[in-house]
Amino acid sequence: MYPFYPQRDSLLSSLDPRVKIIGTALGIASIMLYNDPKVLLPLFLLFVLVGKYLGGISLREQLALMKPLLPVVIITIVVWPVIYKPRVMGLLFGITFAVRLLTFALLTFLLLMTTSQRELILGFVKLGIPYEFGLTISIALRYIPTLYMLSRNIMDAQKSRGWEIEKGSFITRARKMTAVLIPLLVASLKTAHELSIALESRGFGASKKRTFLYDIRMRRRDYIAMGIIVILFALSLYARYGLGIGHVELRY
Amino acid sequence: MIRVRDLHFAYDGREVLREIDLDMESEVVALVGQNGSGKTTLAKHLNGLLKPTKGSVEVDGLDTREHTVAELSRKVGYVFQNPEHMFFEETVFREVAFGPRNLGLDEDEVEKRVKWALRSVNLEGYEDRTPYSLSGGEKQRLAIACILAMKPRYLVLDEPTTGLDAKNGESVIRTIERLHSEGHGILLITHDMELVLRLAERVVLLHDGRKVFDGPVEEFFSLDLHDYGLDKPEVLLLGEVTGVGFVRSVSELVKALAGDGE
Ligand SMILES: Nc1ncnc2c1ncn2[C@@H]1O[C@H](COP(=O)(O)OP(=O)(O)OP(=O)(O)O)[C@@H](O)[C@H]1O
Ligand SMILES: [Mg+2]
Repeated sequence: MYPFYPQRDSLLSSLDPRVKIIGTALGIASIMLYNDPKVLLPLFLLFVLVGKYLGGISLREQLALMKPLLPVVIITIVVWPVIYKPRVMGLLFGITFAVRLLTFALLTFLLLMTTSQRELILGFVKLGIPYEFGLTISIALRYIPTLYMLSRNIMDAQKSRGWEIEKGSFITRARKMTAVLIPLLVASLKTAHELSIALESRGFGASKKRTFLYDIRMRRRDYIAMGIIVILFALSLYARYGLGIGHVELRY
Repeated sequence: MIRVRDLHFAYDGREVLREIDLDMESEVVALVGQNGSGKTTLAKHLNGLLKPTKGSVEVDGLDTREHTVAELSRKVGYVFQNPEHMFFEETVFREVAFGPRNLGLDEDEVEKRVKWALRSVNLEGYEDRTPYSLSGGEKQRLAIACILAMKPRYLVLDEPTTGLDAKNGESVIRTIERLHSEGHGILLITHDMELVLRLAERVVLLHDGRKVFDGPVEEFFSLDLHDYGLDKPEVLLLGEVTGVGFVRSVSELVKALAGDGE
Protein backbone atom coordinates (compact mmCIF):
# COMPACT_ATOMS: atom_id res chain seq x y z
CA MET A 1 0.00 0.00 0.00
CA TYR A 2 1.28 3.46 -0.82
CA PRO A 3 1.62 5.56 2.28
CA PHE A 4 0.59 8.89 0.82
CA TYR A 5 1.74 11.92 2.69
CA PRO A 6 2.88 10.46 5.92
CA GLN A 7 3.68 13.47 8.08
CA ARG A 8 7.43 13.89 7.89
CA ASP A 9 10.02 16.53 8.48
CA SER A 10 11.79 17.28 5.27
CA LEU A 11 12.67 20.35 3.29
CA LEU A 12 10.18 19.47 0.58
CA SER A 13 7.25 18.98 2.96
CA SER A 14 7.90 22.36 4.54
CA LEU A 15 7.72 24.22 1.20
CA ASP A 16 4.63 26.03 -0.05
CA PRO A 17 2.49 23.71 -2.21
CA ARG A 18 2.56 26.22 -5.08
CA VAL A 19 6.33 25.93 -5.29
CA LYS A 20 6.08 22.16 -5.38
CA ILE A 21 3.31 22.13 -7.97
CA ILE A 22 5.27 24.45 -10.28
CA GLY A 23 8.45 22.53 -9.57
CA THR A 24 6.75 19.26 -10.53
CA ALA A 25 5.28 20.79 -13.69
CA LEU A 26 8.63 22.21 -14.78
CA GLY A 27 10.35 18.93 -13.90
CA ILE A 28 7.94 17.08 -16.17
CA ALA A 29 8.41 19.71 -18.88
CA SER A 30 12.19 19.28 -18.65
CA ILE A 31 12.04 15.54 -19.29
CA MET A 32 9.92 16.23 -22.36
CA LEU A 33 12.70 18.43 -23.75
CA TYR A 34 15.12 15.58 -24.12
CA ASN A 35 14.91 12.28 -25.89
CA ASP A 36 18.46 11.09 -25.29
CA PRO A 37 18.70 8.41 -22.58
CA LYS A 38 22.20 9.76 -21.80
CA VAL A 39 20.53 12.87 -20.41
CA LEU A 40 17.24 11.37 -19.24
CA LEU A 41 18.81 8.70 -17.06
CA PRO A 42 21.01 11.10 -15.03
CA LEU A 43 18.01 13.41 -14.73
CA PHE A 44 15.97 10.53 -13.36
CA LEU A 45 18.70 9.69 -10.85
CA LEU A 46 18.87 13.33 -9.88
CA PHE A 47 15.16 13.32 -9.02
CA VAL A 48 15.65 10.10 -7.04
CA LEU A 49 18.34 11.84 -4.99
CA VAL A 50 16.14 14.91 -4.53
CA GLY A 51 13.46 12.61 -3.17
CA LYS A 52 15.89 10.90 -0.84
CA TYR A 53 17.77 13.90 0.53
CA LEU A 54 15.33 16.80 0.24
CA GLY A 55 12.09 14.80 0.52
CA GLY A 56 13.21 12.31 3.14
CA ILE A 57 11.78 9.44 1.11
CA SER A 58 14.00 6.37 1.35
CA LEU A 59 15.14 4.51 -1.75
CA ARG A 60 13.13 1.52 -0.58
CA GLU A 61 9.92 3.55 -0.54
CA GLN A 62 10.68 5.02 -3.96
CA LEU A 63 11.32 1.55 -5.31
CA ALA A 64 8.05 0.29 -3.86
CA LEU A 65 6.24 3.15 -5.57
CA MET A 66 7.69 2.30 -8.96
CA LYS A 67 7.38 -1.47 -8.74
CA PRO A 68 3.83 -1.63 -10.13
CA LEU A 69 5.10 0.18 -13.26
CA LEU A 70 7.70 -2.47 -13.99
CA PRO A 71 5.53 -4.50 -16.39
CA VAL A 72 4.74 -1.39 -18.46
CA VAL A 73 8.41 -0.43 -18.54
CA ILE A 74 9.46 -3.88 -19.71
CA ILE A 75 6.73 -4.05 -22.33
CA THR A 76 7.72 -0.61 -23.67
CA ILE A 77 11.37 -1.49 -23.97
CA VAL A 78 10.59 -4.80 -25.64
CA VAL A 79 7.78 -3.71 -27.94
CA TRP A 80 9.22 -0.53 -29.48
CA PRO A 81 12.18 -2.21 -31.20
CA VAL A 82 9.79 -4.79 -32.66
CA ILE A 83 7.32 -2.38 -34.22
CA TYR A 84 9.70 0.47 -35.07
CA LYS A 85 12.40 0.26 -37.72
CA PRO A 86 15.36 0.65 -37.66
CA ARG A 87 15.68 -1.37 -34.51
CA VAL A 88 18.26 0.86 -32.85
CA MET A 89 15.85 3.76 -33.11
CA GLY A 90 13.05 1.61 -31.76
CA LEU A 91 15.18 0.64 -28.80
CA LEU A 92 16.06 4.29 -28.22
CA PHE A 93 12.37 5.20 -28.36
CA GLY A 94 11.50 2.43 -25.95
CA ILE A 95 14.10 3.43 -23.39
CA THR A 96 13.27 7.13 -23.72
CA PHE A 97 9.62 6.45 -23.21
CA ALA A 98 10.22 4.14 -20.25
CA VAL A 99 12.54 6.59 -18.48
CA ARG A 100 10.14 9.45 -19.09
CA LEU A 101 7.31 7.41 -17.68
CA LEU A 102 9.28 6.50 -14.57
CA THR A 103 10.40 10.09 -14.05
CA PHE A 104 6.86 11.33 -14.52
CA ALA A 105 5.60 8.86 -11.91
CA LEU A 106 8.46 9.67 -9.57
CA LEU A 107 7.86 13.43 -9.71
CA THR A 108 4.15 13.03 -9.14
CA PHE A 109 4.83 10.74 -6.21
CA LEU A 110 7.33 13.16 -4.72
CA LEU A 111 4.69 15.88 -4.84
CA LEU A 112 2.09 13.65 -3.21
CA MET A 113 4.39 12.20 -0.60
CA THR A 114 5.44 15.63 0.61
CA THR A 115 2.13 17.49 0.35
CA SER A 116 -1.09 16.87 2.21
CA GLN A 117 -4.29 16.70 0.22
CA ARG A 118 -5.50 19.91 1.82
CA GLU A 119 -2.37 21.84 0.87
CA LEU A 120 -2.42 20.40 -2.62
CA ILE A 121 -5.95 21.58 -3.33
CA LEU A 122 -5.24 24.94 -1.78
CA GLY A 123 -2.12 25.24 -3.92
CA PHE A 124 -4.09 24.54 -7.11
CA VAL A 125 -6.76 27.06 -6.18
CA LYS A 126 -4.23 29.78 -5.36
CA LEU A 127 -2.60 29.18 -8.71
CA GLY A 128 -5.93 30.02 -10.31
CA ILE A 129 -6.88 26.48 -11.19
CA PRO A 130 -10.53 25.61 -10.39
CA TYR A 131 -11.16 23.87 -7.09
CA GLU A 132 -12.82 20.93 -8.82
CA PHE A 133 -9.64 20.25 -10.74
CA GLY A 134 -7.52 20.04 -7.63
CA LEU A 135 -10.09 17.88 -5.92
CA THR A 136 -10.44 15.57 -8.92
CA ILE A 137 -6.69 15.10 -9.18
CA SER A 138 -6.21 14.42 -5.52
CA ILE A 139 -9.14 12.03 -5.33
CA ALA A 140 -7.94 10.17 -8.39
CA LEU A 141 -4.48 9.83 -6.93
CA ARG A 142 -5.86 8.91 -3.57
CA TYR A 143 -7.59 5.94 -5.22
CA ILE A 144 -4.56 4.54 -7.01
CA PRO A 145 -3.44 2.46 -4.02
CA THR A 146 -7.02 1.35 -3.38
CA LEU A 147 -7.38 0.24 -6.98
CA TYR A 148 -4.04 -1.50 -6.82
CA MET A 149 -5.13 -3.50 -3.76
CA LEU A 150 -8.48 -4.18 -5.38
CA SER A 151 -6.93 -5.55 -8.55
CA ARG A 152 -4.62 -7.76 -6.50
CA ASN A 153 -7.62 -9.09 -4.62
CA ILE A 154 -9.57 -9.76 -7.82
CA MET A 155 -6.58 -11.56 -9.32
CA ASP A 156 -6.38 -13.73 -6.22
CA ALA A 157 -10.08 -14.53 -6.53
CA GLN A 158 -9.66 -15.57 -10.17
CA LYS A 159 -6.50 -17.56 -9.48
CA SER A 160 -8.55 -19.54 -7.00
CA ARG A 161 -10.71 -20.54 -9.98
CA GLY A 162 -7.74 -21.90 -11.84
CA TRP A 163 -7.07 -18.71 -13.81
CA GLU A 164 -3.45 -18.38 -14.87
CA ILE A 165 -2.27 -15.23 -16.59
CA GLU A 166 1.21 -16.62 -17.13
CA LYS A 167 0.01 -19.19 -19.65
CA GLY A 168 -0.66 -18.70 -23.33
CA SER A 169 0.16 -16.33 -26.16
CA PHE A 170 -0.11 -12.56 -25.99
CA ILE A 171 -3.65 -12.63 -27.42
CA THR A 172 -4.92 -15.33 -25.05
CA ARG A 173 -3.42 -13.44 -22.16
CA ALA A 174 -5.07 -10.21 -23.21
CA ARG A 175 -8.38 -12.04 -23.39
CA LYS A 176 -7.77 -13.57 -19.98
CA MET A 177 -7.34 -10.11 -18.53
CA THR A 178 -11.07 -9.49 -18.95
CA ALA A 179 -11.58 -11.77 -15.94
CA VAL A 180 -9.84 -9.10 -13.90
CA LEU A 181 -10.78 -5.95 -15.78
CA ILE A 182 -14.54 -6.42 -15.63
CA PRO A 183 -14.83 -6.91 -11.86
CA LEU A 184 -12.35 -4.06 -11.44
CA LEU A 185 -14.44 -1.78 -13.62
CA VAL A 186 -17.65 -2.68 -11.80
CA ALA A 187 -16.07 -2.09 -8.40
CA SER A 188 -14.54 1.24 -9.50
CA LEU A 189 -17.82 2.51 -10.92
CA LYS A 190 -19.49 1.59 -7.66
CA THR A 191 -16.86 3.49 -5.69
CA ALA A 192 -17.20 6.50 -7.97
CA HIS A 193 -20.94 6.48 -7.52
CA GLU A 194 -20.66 6.25 -3.73
CA LEU A 195 -18.09 9.02 -3.75
CA SER A 196 -20.36 11.36 -5.70
CA ILE A 197 -23.14 10.75 -3.20
CA ALA A 198 -20.75 11.42 -0.33
CA LEU A 199 -19.61 14.67 -1.94
CA GLU A 200 -23.12 15.88 -2.65
CA SER A 201 -24.41 15.00 0.78
CA ARG A 202 -21.71 17.20 2.21
CA GLY A 203 -22.87 20.13 0.13
CA PHE A 204 -20.25 19.97 -2.60
CA GLY A 205 -21.02 22.57 -5.27
CA ALA A 206 -23.65 24.29 -3.14
CA SER A 207 -21.95 27.67 -3.27
CA LYS A 208 -19.88 29.15 -6.06
CA LYS A 209 -17.47 31.03 -3.89
CA ARG A 210 -15.48 28.84 -1.56
CA THR A 211 -13.82 29.99 1.60
CA PHE A 212 -10.94 28.16 3.23
CA LEU A 213 -10.31 27.39 6.83
CA TYR A 214 -6.57 27.29 6.31
CA ASP A 215 -4.38 29.62 4.36
CA ILE A 216 -0.93 29.30 2.86
CA ARG A 217 1.73 31.99 2.60
CA MET A 218 4.92 32.17 0.59
CA ARG A 219 7.91 32.65 2.89
CA ARG A 220 11.48 33.52 2.12
CA ARG A 221 12.62 29.95 1.65
CA ASP A 222 9.72 29.41 -0.76
CA TYR A 223 10.86 32.31 -2.94
CA ILE A 224 14.42 31.02 -2.85
CA ALA A 225 13.29 27.53 -3.81
CA MET A 226 11.12 28.96 -6.60
CA GLY A 227 14.12 30.93 -7.85
CA ILE A 228 16.31 27.84 -7.91
CA ILE A 229 13.66 25.83 -9.76
CA VAL A 230 13.21 28.54 -12.42
CA ILE A 231 16.97 28.89 -12.90
CA LEU A 232 17.41 25.14 -13.28
CA PHE A 233 14.60 25.01 -15.82
CA ALA A 234 16.09 27.93 -17.75
CA LEU A 235 19.42 26.10 -17.77
CA SER A 236 17.82 22.96 -19.14
CA LEU A 237 16.15 25.03 -21.87
CA TYR A 238 19.49 26.57 -22.71
CA ALA A 239 21.23 23.19 -22.75
CA ARG A 240 18.64 21.84 -25.14
CA TYR A 241 18.17 24.77 -27.55
CA GLY A 242 21.31 26.84 -27.00
CA LEU A 243 23.85 24.03 -26.83
CA GLY A 244 21.81 21.35 -28.60
CA ILE A 245 22.43 18.74 -25.89
CA GLY A 246 20.20 15.77 -25.25
CA HIS A 247 18.35 15.47 -28.50
CA VAL A 248 18.94 12.60 -30.87
CA GLU A 249 17.94 13.32 -34.46
CA LEU A 250 15.55 10.73 -35.81
CA ARG A 251 16.82 10.24 -39.32
CA TYR A 252 16.52 7.11 -41.38
CA MET B 1 -5.83 -33.74 5.25
CA ILE B 2 -4.57 -30.19 5.55
CA ARG B 3 -1.45 -29.89 7.64
CA VAL B 4 -0.03 -26.52 8.64
CA ARG B 5 3.24 -26.68 10.52
CA ASP B 6 4.98 -23.82 12.31
CA LEU B 7 3.65 -21.35 9.77
CA HIS B 8 5.08 -17.84 9.83
CA PHE B 9 4.14 -15.14 7.38
CA ALA B 10 5.25 -11.55 6.89
CA TYR B 11 3.91 -8.85 4.55
CA ASP B 12 6.91 -6.72 3.49
CA GLY B 13 8.89 -7.68 6.58
CA ARG B 14 6.02 -7.22 9.04
CA GLU B 15 5.17 -10.58 10.59
CA VAL B 16 1.40 -11.11 10.82
CA LEU B 17 1.28 -14.89 11.42
CA ARG B 18 3.44 -16.76 13.92
CA GLU B 19 3.93 -20.41 14.85
CA ILE B 20 0.64 -21.62 13.46
CA ASP B 21 -0.06 -25.36 13.57
CA LEU B 22 -3.33 -26.61 12.17
CA ASP B 23 -4.78 -29.91 11.04
CA MET B 24 -8.03 -30.17 9.20
CA GLU B 25 -10.18 -33.00 7.88
CA SER B 26 -13.80 -33.24 6.78
CA GLU B 27 -15.20 -31.03 9.49
CA VAL B 28 -16.58 -27.53 9.88
CA VAL B 29 -13.91 -25.39 11.49
CA ALA B 30 -14.72 -21.81 12.38
CA LEU B 31 -11.77 -19.45 12.12
CA VAL B 32 -12.41 -16.46 14.35
CA GLY B 33 -10.54 -13.46 15.74
CA GLN B 34 -10.57 -9.70 15.75
CA ASN B 35 -10.14 -7.55 12.63
CA GLY B 36 -6.56 -7.79 11.51
CA SER B 37 -5.79 -10.90 13.55
CA GLY B 38 -4.71 -12.75 10.41
CA LYS B 39 -7.68 -14.94 9.47
CA THR B 40 -7.71 -14.10 5.78
CA THR B 41 -3.93 -14.28 5.61
CA LEU B 42 -3.96 -17.78 7.11
CA ALA B 43 -6.77 -18.93 4.82
CA LYS B 44 -4.92 -17.69 1.73
CA HIS B 45 -2.14 -20.11 2.58
CA LEU B 46 -4.39 -23.13 2.20
CA ASN B 47 -4.71 -22.83 -1.59
CA GLY B 48 -1.27 -21.38 -2.13
CA LEU B 49 -2.26 -17.74 -2.78
CA LEU B 50 0.31 -16.95 -0.12
CA LYS B 51 3.36 -19.06 0.59
CA PRO B 52 4.78 -19.34 4.11
CA THR B 53 7.88 -17.30 4.90
CA LYS B 54 8.73 -20.07 7.36
CA GLY B 55 7.14 -23.44 8.07
CA SER B 56 4.95 -25.43 5.71
CA VAL B 57 1.44 -26.06 4.45
CA GLU B 58 0.47 -29.43 3.01
CA VAL B 59 -2.82 -30.31 1.35
CA ASP B 60 -3.42 -34.05 0.93
CA GLY B 61 0.31 -34.49 0.77
CA LEU B 62 0.98 -31.60 -1.64
CA ASP B 63 3.36 -28.94 -0.37
CA THR B 64 1.83 -25.59 -1.37
CA ARG B 65 5.26 -24.16 -2.15
CA GLU B 66 5.74 -26.71 -4.92
CA HIS B 67 2.35 -26.25 -6.59
CA THR B 68 0.55 -23.40 -8.31
CA VAL B 69 -2.72 -21.97 -7.09
CA ALA B 70 -4.41 -23.45 -10.16
CA GLU B 71 -3.21 -26.95 -9.25
CA LEU B 72 -4.21 -26.53 -5.63
CA SER B 73 -7.65 -25.21 -6.63
CA ARG B 74 -8.70 -28.83 -7.32
CA LYS B 75 -8.18 -29.54 -3.63
CA VAL B 76 -8.98 -26.31 -1.84
CA GLY B 77 -11.75 -24.01 -3.01
CA TYR B 78 -11.59 -20.45 -1.77
CA VAL B 79 -14.78 -18.39 -1.82
CA PHE B 80 -13.78 -14.75 -1.50
CA GLN B 81 -15.52 -12.34 0.77
CA ASN B 82 -16.96 -10.18 -2.00
CA PRO B 83 -18.57 -12.36 -4.68
CA GLU B 84 -18.62 -9.47 -7.15
CA HIS B 85 -14.86 -9.59 -7.27
CA MET B 86 -15.08 -12.71 -9.37
CA PHE B 87 -18.04 -12.21 -11.73
CA PHE B 88 -17.18 -11.25 -15.28
CA GLU B 89 -19.18 -13.51 -17.59
CA GLU B 90 -22.51 -12.69 -19.23
CA THR B 91 -24.41 -15.65 -17.86
CA VAL B 92 -24.50 -17.67 -14.68
CA PHE B 93 -23.76 -20.80 -16.68
CA ARG B 94 -20.57 -19.41 -18.16
CA GLU B 95 -19.56 -17.99 -14.81
CA VAL B 96 -19.74 -21.39 -13.13
CA ALA B 97 -18.14 -23.09 -16.13
CA PHE B 98 -15.07 -20.84 -15.93
CA GLY B 99 -13.37 -22.85 -13.18
CA PRO B 100 -13.93 -26.34 -14.62
CA ARG B 101 -12.82 -25.08 -18.06
CA ASN B 102 -9.62 -23.77 -16.52
CA LEU B 103 -9.04 -27.28 -15.21
CA GLY B 104 -9.07 -28.46 -18.83
CA LEU B 105 -12.19 -30.64 -18.54
CA ASP B 106 -14.18 -31.54 -21.66
CA GLU B 107 -17.46 -29.74 -22.37
CA ASP B 108 -19.68 -32.67 -21.31
CA GLU B 109 -18.04 -32.84 -17.93
CA VAL B 110 -18.11 -29.04 -17.60
CA GLU B 111 -21.83 -28.98 -18.25
CA LYS B 112 -22.46 -31.79 -15.79
CA ARG B 113 -20.53 -30.00 -13.11
CA VAL B 114 -22.24 -26.66 -13.68
CA LYS B 115 -25.65 -28.33 -13.36
CA TRP B 116 -24.58 -30.16 -10.23
CA ALA B 117 -23.00 -27.08 -8.62
CA LEU B 118 -26.03 -24.89 -9.31
CA ARG B 119 -28.29 -27.54 -7.87
CA SER B 120 -26.14 -27.80 -4.76
CA VAL B 121 -26.66 -24.12 -4.00
CA ASN B 122 -30.30 -24.04 -5.08
CA LEU B 123 -29.79 -21.94 -8.18
CA GLU B 124 -31.25 -24.29 -10.78
CA GLY B 125 -32.92 -22.41 -13.58
CA TYR B 126 -30.62 -19.41 -13.22
CA GLU B 127 -28.28 -20.53 -16.02
CA ASP B 128 -29.11 -17.68 -18.39
CA ARG B 129 -29.32 -14.86 -15.87
CA THR B 130 -26.59 -12.24 -15.57
CA PRO B 131 -24.51 -12.73 -12.40
CA TYR B 132 -24.70 -9.04 -11.50
CA SER B 133 -28.51 -9.07 -11.65
CA LEU B 134 -28.81 -11.54 -8.77
CA SER B 135 -29.66 -10.61 -5.18
CA GLY B 136 -27.02 -10.55 -2.45
CA GLY B 137 -27.75 -14.03 -1.21
CA GLU B 138 -27.94 -15.44 -4.72
CA LYS B 139 -24.61 -13.86 -5.59
CA GLN B 140 -23.02 -15.43 -2.55
CA ARG B 141 -24.43 -18.84 -3.47
CA LEU B 142 -23.34 -18.38 -7.07
CA ALA B 143 -19.83 -17.63 -5.81
CA ILE B 144 -19.93 -20.89 -3.85
CA ALA B 145 -21.19 -22.74 -6.96
CA CYS B 146 -18.31 -21.34 -9.04
CA ILE B 147 -15.86 -22.89 -6.60
CA LEU B 148 -17.86 -26.10 -6.02
CA ALA B 149 -17.84 -26.84 -9.73
CA MET B 150 -14.12 -27.46 -9.40
CA LYS B 151 -14.96 -30.22 -6.90
CA PRO B 152 -12.50 -29.29 -4.18
CA ARG B 153 -12.39 -31.46 -1.09
CA TYR B 154 -11.91 -28.47 1.19
CA LEU B 155 -13.72 -25.16 1.10
CA VAL B 156 -12.68 -21.86 2.59
CA LEU B 157 -15.55 -19.43 3.07
CA ASP B 158 -14.55 -15.88 4.02
CA GLU B 159 -17.46 -14.23 5.85
CA PRO B 160 -20.12 -15.83 3.64
CA THR B 161 -23.13 -14.38 5.47
CA THR B 162 -21.90 -10.84 6.11
CA GLY B 163 -24.30 -8.26 4.71
CA LEU B 164 -27.06 -10.76 3.95
CA ASP B 165 -30.57 -10.51 5.37
CA ALA B 166 -31.97 -13.34 7.52
CA LYS B 167 -33.57 -15.23 4.66
CA ASN B 168 -30.56 -15.09 2.35
CA GLY B 169 -28.20 -15.81 5.22
CA GLU B 170 -30.28 -18.85 6.04
CA SER B 171 -30.02 -20.21 2.53
CA VAL B 172 -26.24 -19.83 2.59
CA ILE B 173 -26.14 -21.59 5.97
CA ARG B 174 -28.18 -24.45 4.59
CA THR B 175 -25.85 -24.73 1.65
CA ILE B 176 -22.90 -24.99 4.04
CA GLU B 177 -24.66 -27.68 6.09
CA ARG B 178 -25.37 -29.68 2.97
CA LEU B 179 -21.78 -29.45 1.77
CA HIS B 180 -20.54 -30.61 5.13
CA SER B 181 -22.86 -33.61 5.11
CA GLU B 182 -21.48 -34.49 1.68
CA GLY B 183 -18.01 -34.82 3.19
CA HIS B 184 -16.37 -31.48 2.47
CA GLY B 185 -13.96 -30.01 4.99
CA ILE B 186 -15.02 -26.41 5.57
CA LEU B 187 -13.05 -23.54 7.01
CA LEU B 188 -15.51 -20.83 7.90
CA ILE B 189 -14.15 -17.35 8.58
CA THR B 190 -16.66 -15.27 10.48
CA HIS B 191 -17.31 -12.65 13.12
CA ASP B 192 -20.79 -13.99 13.75
CA MET B 193 -20.75 -16.02 16.96
CA GLU B 194 -24.33 -17.25 16.42
CA LEU B 195 -23.16 -18.73 13.15
CA VAL B 196 -20.19 -20.36 14.87
CA LEU B 197 -22.51 -21.82 17.46
CA ARG B 198 -24.82 -23.13 14.81
CA LEU B 199 -22.41 -24.60 12.29
CA ALA B 200 -19.00 -25.24 13.74
CA GLU B 201 -17.73 -28.42 15.29
CA ARG B 202 -14.37 -26.91 16.06
CA VAL B 203 -13.14 -23.36 16.53
CA VAL B 204 -9.72 -21.90 15.86
CA LEU B 205 -9.12 -18.54 17.48
CA LEU B 206 -6.43 -16.19 16.22
CA HIS B 207 -5.13 -13.28 18.20
CA ASP B 208 -2.35 -11.02 16.93
CA GLY B 209 -1.27 -13.60 14.38
CA ARG B 210 -1.05 -16.46 16.87
CA LYS B 211 -3.36 -19.39 17.38
CA VAL B 212 -4.57 -19.00 20.96
CA PHE B 213 -7.30 -21.62 20.94
CA ASP B 214 -8.14 -24.73 18.92
CA GLY B 215 -10.85 -27.05 20.19
CA PRO B 216 -14.53 -28.02 20.27
CA VAL B 217 -17.16 -25.24 20.14
CA GLU B 218 -18.44 -26.00 23.57
CA GLU B 219 -15.01 -25.46 25.08
CA PHE B 220 -14.50 -22.35 22.96
CA PHE B 221 -17.57 -20.67 24.38
CA SER B 222 -16.41 -21.34 27.92
CA LEU B 223 -13.40 -19.04 27.26
CA ASP B 224 -13.49 -15.45 28.37
CA LEU B 225 -14.24 -14.12 24.90
CA HIS B 226 -14.16 -10.47 25.93
CA ASP B 227 -10.38 -10.70 26.08
CA TYR B 228 -10.42 -11.31 22.34
CA GLY B 229 -12.99 -8.68 21.46
CA LEU B 230 -15.71 -11.27 20.89
CA ASP B 231 -19.17 -11.65 22.36
CA LYS B 232 -20.97 -14.72 23.57
CA PRO B 233 -24.31 -15.41 21.84
CA GLU B 234 -27.20 -14.53 24.13
CA VAL B 235 -28.75 -17.94 23.84
CA LEU B 236 -25.70 -19.38 25.61
CA LEU B 237 -26.12 -16.92 28.46
CA LEU B 238 -29.76 -17.93 28.64
CA GLY B 239 -28.76 -21.56 28.72
CA GLU B 240 -26.42 -20.79 31.60
CA VAL B 241 -28.86 -18.85 33.75
CA THR B 242 -31.66 -21.34 33.20
CA GLY B 243 -29.32 -24.14 34.17
CA VAL B 244 -29.75 -25.97 30.87
CA GLY B 245 -26.10 -25.52 29.96
CA PHE B 246 -24.69 -25.59 26.44
CA VAL B 247 -27.24 -25.23 23.65
CA ARG B 248 -26.77 -24.46 19.99
CA SER B 249 -29.99 -22.58 19.32
CA VAL B 250 -33.05 -21.03 20.90
CA SER B 251 -35.23 -23.93 19.80
CA GLU B 252 -32.86 -26.36 21.49
CA LEU B 253 -33.10 -24.26 24.64
CA VAL B 254 -36.87 -24.14 24.48
CA LYS B 255 -37.02 -27.90 23.98
CA ALA B 256 -34.77 -28.48 26.98
CA LEU B 257 -36.82 -26.14 29.15
CA ALA B 258 -40.11 -27.66 28.02
CA GLY B 259 -38.73 -31.10 28.78
CA ASP B 260 -37.88 -29.93 32.28
CA GLY B 261 -41.42 -28.82 32.94
CA GLU B 262 -42.98 -32.18 32.20
N1 LIG C 1 -1.83 -7.16 1.23
C1 LIG C 1 -1.39 -6.77 2.45
N2 LIG C 1 -0.24 -6.07 2.57
C2 LIG C 1 0.22 -5.72 3.78
N3 LIG C 1 -0.38 -5.99 4.94
C3 LIG C 1 -1.53 -6.69 4.89
C4 LIG C 1 -2.10 -7.11 3.65
N4 LIG C 1 -3.24 -7.78 3.90
C5 LIG C 1 -3.39 -7.77 5.24
N5 LIG C 1 -2.37 -7.12 5.85
C6 LIG C 1 -2.18 -6.95 7.30
O1 LIG C 1 -2.04 -8.23 7.90
C7 LIG C 1 -2.76 -8.29 9.12
C8 LIG C 1 -3.77 -9.44 9.07
O2 LIG C 1 -4.75 -9.12 8.10
P1 LIG C 1 -5.92 -10.11 7.69
O3 LIG C 1 -6.62 -9.49 6.53
O4 LIG C 1 -5.38 -11.48 7.52
O5 LIG C 1 -6.84 -10.04 8.99
P2 LIG C 1 -8.30 -10.62 9.19
O6 LIG C 1 -8.26 -11.39 10.46
O7 LIG C 1 -8.78 -11.32 7.98
O8 LIG C 1 -9.13 -9.29 9.44
P3 LIG C 1 -10.67 -8.95 9.08
O9 LIG C 1 -11.49 -9.55 10.19
O10 LIG C 1 -10.70 -7.47 9.13
O11 LIG C 1 -10.98 -9.51 7.74
C9 LIG C 1 -3.40 -6.93 9.32
O12 LIG C 1 -2.59 -6.22 10.21
C10 LIG C 1 -3.39 -6.31 7.95
O13 LIG C 1 -3.23 -4.92 8.06
MG1 LIG D 1 -10.37 -10.95 6.52
